[in-house]
Amino acid sequence: MFGHVFSYRLKCLVRDRDLVFWTLIFSILLGTMFHVAFGHLTTESEKFQPIEVAVVDNEDYRNDPSLQAILEELSSAGQNHMLDPVYADEKGAEELLNEGAVSGIITAGEPVRLTVKEPGIYQSILKMILDEHLQTTKTVANIISRNPQVVSDLIEGMQSENGYRRDYTEQISFSGVVPNINLVYFYALLAMACMHSGFWGLRNAIDIQADLSDLGARRSVAPTHKMVVVLADSAAALVISFFEILILLAYLSLALGVKFGSQIGYVMLTCLAGCIAGVSYGSFIGTLVRGHEGVKTGILIGSTMAMSFLAGLMWVDMKYIVSVKVPFLSYINPAALIADAFYSLYVFDTHRRFFINIGMLCLISAVFCVASFAILRRDEYASI
Amino acid sequence: MIIEIQSLVKRYGNLVALDHFNLEVSEGEIVGLLGPNGSGKTTLINCVLSLLKYDKGTIRVFGKEMRPDAYDIKQRIGIVMQNVAVFKELRVDENVDYFCGLYVKDAAARRQLVDEAIDFVELDAFRKFYPRKLSGGLLRRLNIACGIVHKPELLILDEPTVGVDPQSRNSILEGIRELNRQGTTVLYTSHYMEEVEQLCNRVVIMDQGKPLATGTIEELKAMVNSGETVVVEIYKLESEDLDRIQQLPNVSRAYYEDDHLTVYFDGGLHNLLNLLDYLKSREISFNRVFSQQPTLNDVFLEITGKQLRE
Repeated sequence: MFGHVFSYRLKCLVRDRDLVFWTLIFSILLGTMFHVAFGHLTTESEKFQPIEVAVVDNEDYRNDPSLQAILEELSSAGQNHMLDPVYADEKGAEELLNEGAVSGIITAGEPVRLTVKEPGIYQSILKMILDEHLQTTKTVANIISRNPQVVSDLIEGMQSENGYRRDYTEQISFSGVVPNINLVYFYALLAMACMHSGFWGLRNAIDIQADLSDLGARRSVAPTHKMVVVLADSAAALVISFFEILILLAYLSLALGVKFGSQIGYVMLTCLAGCIAGVSYGSFIGTLVRGHEGVKTGILIGSTMAMSFLAGLMWVDMKYIVSVKVPFLSYINPAALIADAFYSLYVFDTHRRFFINIGMLCLISAVFCVASFAILRRDEYASI
Repeated sequence: MIIEIQSLVKRYGNLVALDHFNLEVSEGEIVGLLGPNGSGKTTLINCVLSLLKYDKGTIRVFGKEMRPDAYDIKQRIGIVMQNVAVFKELRVDENVDYFCGLYVKDAAARRQLVDEAIDFVELDAFRKFYPRKLSGGLLRRLNIACGIVHKPELLILDEPTVGVDPQSRNSILEGIRELNRQGTTVLYTSHYMEEVEQLCNRVVIMDQGKPLATGTIEELKAMVNSGETVVVEIYKLESEDLDRIQQLPNVSRAYYEDDHLTVYFDGGLHNLLNLLDYLKSREISFNRVFSQQPTLNDVFLEITGKQLRE
């Protein structure tokens, strides 16, 4: 009996073109739109561009080897290429600044001066470089004046592979990947698609209740245990929604190049948990909300969009704001949990945060299931 | 006894939908529940099917108390709802097979039953069609096929012909008669008196949740004051003339509707002659004239003072 109901339910749902559009095609279109809108943000425009800076080529500059050395180091090609210096006399440098061709003018002397036209990020970086340079030269001068015998050690140290300064912290990426904040959009999109599985759950809830549909009434008078029908319908909805999410995942990953990391098993586990949450949420809305089908659909769409918004679908900072200002909301919002599970799989090399997300999702799904099954198992109604 | 309902009460808030309703349906009968819209027919059906909770009374089907989990009883019942209840995404044969599968587990037996049901409602040419491609009449037939496919011993039909063209209606009624000949007991609700007259052995006339009269068609008609009813086709009749006609000898009631003047006479002689004389004297042109036997509508009118379709 379960197989009979399940197979026909599968056929019914697969052939429901409206629902297939909202649960699959809509997400694919939205993903494509995201890709067109900001898919390349991290490839070109976010790369750091060396700062154009004018250097006054005067007597003081020629007599300041340390400044020359630092400018040469920061303008040479490679990882430290931060500056593109343009050497000019004082007047020429001012003209370049006024034309906007450079972000500032470095004038050697005692002290070294930085002239800028307006404040900005590049100007702040220039100031930071010069502050660093001044502080270092002062320190070295101070050491030499107080302890002249260490000069040779100091020079040796400065000429060694690590230079005179050593990094005690190292910048590494988790899981061997480059963190990319724009991925949050795509993860939130997947979360939205999972929550849109609620459409299947909603339709199931309507088609099984005698007070909501004629089909529900007809199925209720059949000699089949209602829970068998409910479980078969739910299983069919889950299979379809999981299959759809896998299609979306393949499209995002293979066609749009969205990164999900290498832990494909856990990625699929997240999809499955997301689909269970979505289908059970749809059943929950379908059974708990009293009113016309249109009202239930409206509430389902509105609430899933709100969840997706809070998970960072429309504005990526929202996810961060919610986690800082209202952290509780992040733990009860299934869309945020799904998006965060994907993100933590991609970024972190431990699974603690991932399993917290999956655990919370399972808990929320269980609440939805218990609440809706308690109502769906009713056999008699007060009115039809 | 196939169905026994005793003192059934169903309330929706302050509204009493069924008021101490009693009904018995014997094996092999076609019992018609006749009443205007809102009289409680569908509520009664839903209570019998254990879809609706009721406030008081007992319902026994096949000699057992009807409960939501009485699957052995449900196995023997077929239901055709007032509204078409099929899956729009499944083809005709798939819909029939789906509902058959809820009753019959054996796949081979199911295939045969599905074929028989589709043949029975004459949908063989449409078995691969989706419901949206079917006309209203064909859709109703599919609705019936889904209800009868498992060959139920008791078939409950709730206004199965609403919105159906006359040809499809006749086909549906003939099908129900055939099922009855094959041994199915039928409980049929309608507000179309012609259908009930055509189909049912026994009729329960109900209104406001109460059974007003029960009996065979002949028994019910016998309840009506045995007079004469004359219908005259007239294209224009002033209200003043209608008033005067009502004052003619032996006229108990007269009304003019849809270009037809209907006049009820209590008895007496030369009633038709008197009526025609009056029409001629007033130079009222008329077309056909015919006398009419009492209908179930007349019975309803007699009992309640209002027409079935008011």
